[in-house]
Amino acid sequence: MAFYECMYIARQELSPTAVEELTKNLQKIITDNGGKVHKTDFWGLKSFAYTINKQKKGHYVLMELDTPPAALLEMERIMRLNEDVVRNLTIKLDELSSEDKEKEAA
Amino acid sequence: MAFADKKKFSKRSRSCPFSGPDGMTIDWKDTKTLGRFVSERGKIMPARITNVSLKKQRELARAIKRARFMALMPYVAQDDQ
Repeated sequence: MAFYECMYIARQELSPTAVEELTKNLQKIITDNGGKVHKTDFWGLKSFAYTINKQKKGHYVLMELDTPPAALLEMERIMRLNEDVVRNLTIKLDELSSEDKEKEAA
Repeated sequence: MAFADKKKFSKRSRSCPFSGPDGMTIDWKDTKTLGRFVSERGKIMPARITNVSLKKQRELARAIKRARFMALMPYVAQDDQ
């Protein structure tokens, strides 16, 4: 299936545990529809380079996914609806970064 | 007629920092390397100054625009913050 890299910014008011909760819900959509989450890393609270609708900081979360496109579109739709997600960006990758490490390790 | 000899022969001395086997990779997430190709006002520097090859300059511009969208890099850098 296709490899994607999805990063989204969660609102500042959320606590880190709430951000993890939100990430789990999003990833549940992926795993339910036959996708696989390869890597998730939380960049934590970072300040923005410019203010986005009156906010200066946000929780950055980066995910690397290996999913059929349908699951991804569903996740993006949920992210658009969710108000805690300030901004999200999904990019198609030709291969996953960590996969090379596994290949090297293996 | 004095301006006939515009800079015709491009400077071959410094090669593109990205192409070539040991070149750096362009990634929209690491703003440190991208920051070197942006002017102090936050504008993308032209390839003729940074000596980046055309193909890599297009990738670089795309990466910078993605970083700007995700607020990792400013659209306009205010220096008097």
